[in-house]
Amino acid sequence: MQSGLLSTYNSSARSRGAIGWIISALLFAFYLIIYFTGIFDPIAKSLGLGGKWDMYGVLYTIAIVGGGSYFLKIHGNSRYQRIRTLSLMFVQVIFAFSIPLVMQMFESKGFIFSLFWPLKLDYLSPAYILDYPILIIVYAFIGSLILVPIMTFLFGKRWYCSWVCGCGGLAETAGDPFRHLSNKRSKAWRFEQFSINFILLLAIATTALIIINWGLHHESSQGEWVTDHATFDLIASKIQGVYQFFVVALLSGVLGVGLYPLMGSRVWCRFFCPLAGLMGLIQKFGRFRITVKDDMCISCGNCSTYCEMGIDVRMYAQNNQSFKRASCVGCGMCAHICPRGVLRLENKWDFAPIQNDSNVDILDL
Amino acid sequence: MKYVIIGNGVAGINSANEIRRRDTSAEITIISKESDHFFSRTALMYIFCGQMSQQDIEPFERDHYQRMNYKRVRDEVLRIDTNNKTIYLAKQNTIQYDRLLIASGSVGRLPGFLGEELDEVGNFVTWQNLEWLQEKAKTAKHACIIGGGLIGIETAEILLLAGINVSFIIREDWFWPIALNKNEGDLITEQMKHHSCDVYLKTDLQEIVERDGHVAGIKTKQGDEIDCDLIVFAIGVRPQTDWLKESGIVLDSSGGIVVNEFLQTNVDDVYAAGDCTSVVWFNNVRRPEQLWYTSRDQGKIAGGNITGDKQIYKRGMFYNSAKFFDLEYTTAGYVNFKLDNEADWYQHEQGTNYTQRITYLPDNTVIGFNFIGRRWDHRPLMKWINEKRTLDWVISHLHEANYDEECMPKFTPLTIAKEVQS
Ligand SMILES: Cc1cc2nc3c(=O)[nH]c(=O)nc-3n(C[C@H](O)[C@H](O)[C@H](O)COP(=O)(O)OP(=O)(O)OC[C@H]3O[C@@H](n4cnc5c(N)ncnc54)[C@H](O)[C@@H]3O)c2cc1C
Ligand code: SF4
Ligand code: SF4
Repeated sequence: MQSGLLSTYNSSARSRGAIGWIISALLFAFYLIIYFTGIFDPIAKSLGLGGKWDMYGVLYTIAIVGGGSYFLKIHGNSRYQRIRTLSLMFVQVIFAFSIPLVMQMFESKGFIFSLFWPLKLDYLSPAYILDYPILIIVYAFIGSLILVPIMTFLFGKRWYCSWVCGCGGLAETAGDPFRHLSNKRSKAWRFEQFSINFILLLAIATTALIIINWGLHHESSQGEWVTDHATFDLIASKIQGVYQFFVVALLSGVLGVGLYPLMGSRVWCRFFCPLAGLMGLIQKFGRFRITVKDDMCISCGNCSTYCEMGIDVRMYAQNNQSFKRASCVGCGMCAHICPRGVLRLENKWDFAPIQNDSNVDILDL
Repeated sequence: MKYVIIGNGVAGINSANEIRRRDTSAEITIISKESDHFFSRTALMYIFCGQMSQQDIEPFERDHYQRMNYKRVRDEVLRIDTNNKTIYLAKQNTIQYDRLLIASGSVGRLPGFLGEELDEVGNFVTWQNLEWLQEKAKTAKHACIIGGGLIGIETAEILLLAGINVSFIIREDWFWPIALNKNEGDLITEQMKHHSCDVYLKTDLQEIVERDGHVAGIKTKQGDEIDCDLIVFAIGVRPQTDWLKESGIVLDSSGGIVVNEFLQTNVDDVYAAGDCTSVVWFNNVRRPEQLWYTSRDQGKIAGGNITGDKQIYKRGMFYNSAKFFDLEYTTAGYVNFKLDNEADWYQHEQGTNYTQRITYLPDNTVIGFNFIGRRWDHRPLMKWINEKRTLDWVISHLHEANYDEECMPKFTPLTIAKEVQS
């Protein structure tokens, strides 16, 4: 029995009860206000912060550190969980919060080293990145195009999603009490396969547009940055705006966090995040898998219940099938709470065919 | 062909799936008195303490029955007439079958004491038992659990978590001697005491004390008087086959349905699988197995055979795992089987809850493993037993069977010293 999970379903906040809905409504309200109004700016200024986004950064960091401390209290008995959570807290405090803040003092512009394309499209956008010193430009390109794929191949997407990422960081710490609310049904899985790849395509297309559009610009004799393709420029910036609005603001912010108490903490990561989509494709060919110990599973369902990505881990476990799933963020919770020690996260140089997504259903009629 | 399966547990549903896999047009009916959906009995404790919801412990999605085209009947079978192939139900009429598969599982035992019929006395085995315990736990202050096995310790754990004081009455000299040695049993007892469980070893129940029609306490043969308002018997389960007494189907002395190696009963077209089935063990003793994975395997084989396959069910080498509060437990092979001249290599790392016990024969071949405190992979352990590896060889390869979570400190066998204690 795992302390901290005990009264999960006795708590209104954690079982889609009235309190859960209220928390969700408050989160929605908060995100709508911060994205689309300036109400928080004066509040931020009166606290000595630059603006609403600085205030957001402070709140976000507090949520990760506070939630992470609670998580360590209930799951810190597992060394994997301990190291992983400390890493998330460290990255948030140092890379996502402090370094950009210090950079802003000197450079007027901060850079978050723990983000990569296509989670942040700007990192492959010439106009954005060229404002930075050459070292950072090199980092953004190498990080996004080489480091991410290689690390994912070697360790699975977990190295990022549940050890580094800020979105994942919030989900694993402050969002942890809601992890069991993810939908485990095969319908949700089918929707996920469609939606995540769709957003990934959208991200790639938008980036391509941004780069082409930049290529079509040139410096005029007056030293201005102009283009001869005004309509293309208009369409490109419109599409970029639409992506920014729907994907970044709505899906990752408002819905992603607002739905924590209703659909679990990983709605954004599971259904929409383009970086997760990309790493998921690599993960399926990489070394990372979850190994299942034959005939030891008692089908209790702890693993599926507490899988924040809505993977029906039990279905694999009771069929004695080790598996690789694109969406698995390697949080290790399934392995940690399994009362029979059936599951283990492993990286292996072993590419013999392993359970594929399609034939998990026990019977296909 | 009309198949009827009595029992919607792990044996019943797996046999239905195997029938469907072989015969897409068969008419398959599943009868259960306990629940509409197949659920995992092993997970009842997690519902009790709010760690999972009812739907969370159902291993298949709810539309499984529609997708597989199974008809479900929620009713109790009172008796069957195997001559006319008729099933008599409590609420509805009768059901006819061409072929019948019985997977009626087990029920908790009651020892037959006066006072057992009181509302505060029960078992923790079925869904109805769970509902009863949930109801009682709302008001109970002190519970007595009688019987020192796995269901007993699980019940103790969840009642303690619900804030109820628990006295655990165990007849034997230490906890679970059928699988543990004294040192291991003491370790678990310490663990229980650490979680504020009152453990009474070498103690027999003598009497249930009643006051105004309610349970007021118990008395033991050793002279203890314990006030309590809830009693859970965890003294084992027995096959749920009372309704088969007059059917002509042969039962063993424990009530288990006697089957041959194809899981076929003595009556034509009637098969049995799961907890209710009495099979032959490795040492030629016949008895039910009452385990999750054996019930599942039997269900699969009986389901295939009832459609005409000829698969043999063979009792394999024993292995299992469990969890005592926070302590993991893995066993494989023949430990505590009292074979000839067996000896134990036993290590307990002082100050920790890690123990390792390897049972071997005088010629040094290893026959069994008992491990507490860390995770082990039973597959290599069983392979080594089959390969008749020697104790020294096994000890030097032990790390290969370690199955701890990632990032755990690398495992090293405690010591290489050989200690004989029989
Ligand atoms: C609390 C608990 C914990 C356990 N933990 C473990 C564990 O950790 N590991 C392990 O290996 N095993 C464990 N077990 C044992 C395991 O659960 C059983 O071996 C397994 O569930 C047996 O499955 P079955 O399909 O044979 O029967 P059951 O699951 O008992 O199903 C019996 C079915 O038959 C139906 N039925 C019976 N009689 C009638 C009737 N007259 N009319 C209509 N329907 C009827 C019932 O409604 C039910 O659907 C545990 C058991 C309990 C109670
Ligand atoms: S499958 Fe396990 S490791 Fe992967 S996301 Fe789900 S709980 Fe985490
Ligand atoms: S793998 Fe473990 S947690 Fe999952 S259903 Fe099986 S026994 Fe339960």
